[in-house]
Amino acid sequence: MNKHWLNIGYDRSKYPETGVDGNLVIDKTAHKLVKLWQGPNHPGVTGNMSIELTISGDEIVEAKTHVGYLHRGFEKLFERRKYIQVFPTCIRLCVAEPDYNEYNLAASVEELSGIEVPEVAQWLRTLVLEMARLQSLLRVVPGQGGTTGLGIGVQWGVYLRDLILDRFEELTGGRVYHMYIIPGGVRGLLPEGFKKRLKSTLKEIDEFIVNIDNLMFSNAVFKKRTIGVGYIDPTWVDSYGIVGPNARAAGFKRDVRKDYPYLKYNELEFDPQTATESDIYTRSRIRWHDLKMTVDLIQQILDKMPDDGIIRAQTPNVLHWKIPKGETYVRSESSRGEYGFYVVADGTEYPRRINLRGPSYTHAVSLLEHMLIGANIADVASIMVSLQTCPPEIER
Amino acid sequence: MSSLKDILMPFTAWKNVFKEPVSIKDPLNERPGAPRYRGFHKNDVKSCIGCGTCESICENEAIDMVAIAGFDAKNGDSGLRPKVDYGRCCWCALCVDVCTTGSLTLSNEYKWVDTDSDNFRYIPGIDNKPWDNNELGWKKPGNGYEFYQLERVKMEELHPEERDKSFIEIIQGYSKEQAEKEADRCVECGICTATCPAHMGIPQYIKAIRNNNLEEGLRILYDTNPLPEICGRICTHKCETVCSIGHRGEAISIRWLKRYIADQNPSEKYKTILETDFIQKNGKKIAIIGSGPAGLSAAHYLAKMGYEVEIFEKLAQAGGMMRYGIPEYRLPYDSIDKDINYILSLGVKIHYNVNVGKDITLEQLGKDFDAVFAGTGLHLGRSTRIEGSDHKNVYQSIELLRKITQGEEIHVAEKIVVIGGGNVAMDITRSLARLQNQKYGKVQMITTSLETEEKMPADREEVVEAREEGAIINPGWAPQKVEIQDGIIKGLHVVQCMSLFDATGNFNPQCNMENARFFEGDMVVESIGQGMDLSYIAEPLKDDIEMGPRGRIKVNSDFQTSVPWLFMGGDTIQGPDVIHGIANGHRAAMGIDKYLTEQ
Amino acid sequence: MKKFIKDLSFRFNITEIEYQRKNLAFVSVDKESVMQMLSYLRDTEGFSHFVLMTAVDWIEDGIFQLTYILNNPTKKIDLAIRIKILRENAEMYSAHHLWNQVATYQRELKEMFGINFPGSPRVNESFLLEGWDNIPPMRRDFDTKKYSEETYFPRPGRGTNDPAQHMKIKLYPNE
Repeated sequence: MNKHWLNIGYDRSKYPETGVDGNLVIDKTAHKLVKLWQGPNHPGVTGNMSIELTISGDEIVEAKTHVGYLHRGFEKLFERRKYIQVFPTCIRLCVAEPDYNEYNLAASVEELSGIEVPEVAQWLRTLVLEMARLQSLLRVVPGQGGTTGLGIGVQWGVYLRDLILDRFEELTGGRVYHMYIIPGGVRGLLPEGFKKRLKSTLKEIDEFIVNIDNLMFSNAVFKKRTIGVGYIDPTWVDSYGIVGPNARAAGFKRDVRKDYPYLKYNELEFDPQTATESDIYTRSRIRWHDLKMTVDLIQQILDKMPDDGIIRAQTPNVLHWKIPKGETYVRSESSRGEYGFYVVADGTEYPRRINLRGPSYTHAVSLLEHMLIGANIADVASIMVSLQTCPPEIER
Repeated sequence: MSSLKDILMPFTAWKNVFKEPVSIKDPLNERPGAPRYRGFHKNDVKSCIGCGTCESICENEAIDMVAIAGFDAKNGDSGLRPKVDYGRCCWCALCVDVCTTGSLTLSNEYKWVDTDSDNFRYIPGIDNKPWDNNELGWKKPGNGYEFYQLERVKMEELHPEERDKSFIEIIQGYSKEQAEKEADRCVECGICTATCPAHMGIPQYIKAIRNNNLEEGLRILYDTNPLPEICGRICTHKCETVCSIGHRGEAISIRWLKRYIADQNPSEKYKTILETDFIQKNGKKIAIIGSGPAGLSAAHYLAKMGYEVEIFEKLAQAGGMMRYGIPEYRLPYDSIDKDINYILSLGVKIHYNVNVGKDITLEQLGKDFDAVFAGTGLHLGRSTRIEGSDHKNVYQSIELLRKITQGEEIHVAEKIVVIGGGNVAMDITRSLARLQNQKYGKVQMITTSLETEEKMPADREEVVEAREEGAIINPGWAPQKVEIQDGIIKGLHVVQCMSLFDATGNFNPQCNMENARFFEGDMVVESIGQGMDLSYIAEPLKDDIEMGPRGRIKVNSDFQTSVPWLFMGGDTIQGPDVIHGIANGHRAAMGIDKYLTEQ
Repeated sequence: MKKFIKDLSFRFNITEIEYQRKNLAFVSVDKESVMQMLSYLRDTEGFSHFVLMTAVDWIEDGIFQLTYILNNPTKKIDLAIRIKILRENAEMYSAHHLWNQVATYQRELKEMFGINFPGSPRVNESFLLEGWDNIPPMRRDFDTKKYSEETYFPRPGRGTNDPAQHMKIKLYPNE
């Protein structure tokens, strides 16, 4: 850990100290342990979950993640819905980025029933998925600043996110739940003048990218609070199933868009950033790079995509669409990392099982519980946001 | 890592002090939903048919189909309209995308404040809302986006050149793949069931095709229709005229799907599939006059109930008009035999060449049997009674068709004029065209009718196919006189027919005498409808029988006449077509059972 | 991929192989060889990324299917391992020692399907459903519709008609 001139004397990532036996040096016999619940109220941009903290002083000795506040039994509900009826239900798995659910469902259904998606629909899907990433990052990048009391960036982000939601509203008819990527294709072409309006929104975001860099990443307080805090050891990446920006910040170049190109990603040029510091600051910085990359990707998509064409392949009648017996696992890269659907079809009109693999399932439970040990109470929120937790994908 | 820059850079945020605020000042008025916004529901209740597909696709059960005052159930419209519960709706707009008529849409309105939560359950289009006239909002996306196929699976047909010399069946029938694809288009709304005279379980048997369970399909067919092979070929398919898919696309080929089920089940398995290997007899005897669709249908259901059934048939073979009226290229004799043989296998006896009224009296039948069902049909040709229509080379289509079936030699002239625009007229036109082709190597047929092209009662495909086979169909002319010179027919004089019915709806053709034409021909065939021969109902029984309107015998809803043991049905009562005959026969069978059980 | 599966089938008793995509295969093995296979794949074959594990209830056959999906980030291939265990007193070996997050999956499976994983940390702690007293809810025999009808109340005044039935009542009630 580098010392810098604002560092006031100790490295908090190493406190409490580790004894010779490898355990933390805490005097448990002093009866000075306190239980503290963080949550389940909405702690910033991380969703309703709670962490049961055992603290000594203001250092955390033990953490347990408690979820269930958002449990709606989605995976069970899917089983008694026809495939087309799963489509409006599955998006509600995640408020921040519902589109990856739509895509994963559509892609798995299409793969299992051998349907080829029309060209223009593939481009539109790519566009929508990148727009979803953009609006999610516009919340979470400044949201990281919010956890250290830097509220202005959050407000900028919310405004710009709203502009993206306006574009979503134009294209899909919905602001948050777009219900656009339907099995077989998409539900509409770009409206008149859409490209122009989206490009002008992107221009505003370009400006924001510079501003947030000045405000947050060149901010002494923010740096002080995040550099060296919430360290993820590279060896944990595989043993805790860490994916996406969190893995990239630890030096693992993992991006589903590059590794397993889907839709039109192999026709686009992009290079996911990696880093090795693996602390909150780095993870946030990686997301900031992602934001830049997404803006660039959307520009590329708008320039390359065709304007007209068939938007949906002819599928069997959706009211009694039977998917042949089979199983598959389909993944896409959400802003949090690998997001997958494991779908089992039993040959009937109803899915036998749809299982969601969300990044938060590992990030917010086993990893968070592990990371929080030894952290400071004041850093818990920062660490949670830096992992970009999303409880609905844990409980489904 | 940190530097003085890190202290100063955040202050650049102060530049925003000089910016205009971006918030919308009056969002309630300044911010309408986007043109595609999925807001509150609208329904064009006049074009809605209450098919309920919106209800079946709704994953939240937010839609109820409710009856509305002023919207009565009628052919092709259930009279129900969707009622939306905004406590459950998620505005996914799948209901709009699946709507068969396109009447349901979403507006771009998204603001609605109310203190009573029950108000958020409403019937779009009936309960007036401020957004009813909003043009913008979610509509069907178009651009190839359909939830079901709007086009029919094409039926294979013989090419006109192959078919116009022979009586081989034209329609080839669906393959398994084709039938399943066609069955897949059905949305299972069930609007068709009410329109079918026999109220067949149409969505149910189409579902059986989809599930590849043709035995179940056959059982569903026989619940309401014991002549599926026949109906699957020549039914007038009124069901297809009301099919909900037909509003935006082509109706489901219900008739061909029915035929597919019947064709695919081998006749030797029928008894096992339909579980009629053993029928408990109840010892009662029923006589049936005529082995047409009504008689056979009654015989089937009565035999299944355990009655001893005997049919008295005037002609040498069973089937009535189905065999003697409909040409072989539309309905091959094998198919007729398949259906009839199954009914006979239930223990039904047929006495051929027995003319009730001459060989045995109706009264005698009434005494020998517990009840009598008469399905004697319309076998008398009607004449136009125009000048020259009594010439020996002016024929009745119905007689010619019968003779063709019986294999008798008939007179086929080189040029023939047919009068009539119904299916029978098309049948005789196409039959004679084939015979002309065999005899002279060319077709010279002119068929004319009072009705104009659009109003011709014949099925569209019949007209199209007749033309494909070389016949000239020239509708909209009223026959005036058969031109005869030296005892030989020269042709038919016609004038343009302007209208058929007067203001009160009575048949009263109005002609434009100025516009006259002459159709050359040396033989004329009249095909303007048939009459019934009720001469077998003789004195003294005749006095007891009450007559209804239009010279028909009065029957109650059980098809029972005023003589309690005598039931009547088929073309003499309703129709004329096969499916009404089948429906009448079925209901008469239940009526007879009720009458004999109550006795 | 095919060659790799072929090599794998020399070592383990693979009963079924399905190639779903060129980089995703499903293999079925027996319960006893799973743990050995998982650690072999992780340590020797580079399948270091544990994607997910879950269960599928084949109630009609009386079995649970457990699916482990592993990913090889270098070769960029996925291997799904399926095993079948009896539904009655369902029990499976714990794999928590191979990947740290597996304990969470197993805890959830215990709660949602009632599959026990002896030795898995905190496996008996409730995961989502505090105070649940019904059968494990992800089992097929748990009827969500029935449960919600018994637990909640319907909104009064709702009622619907089937178009075909309604037309029968209105147009031909006696036929």
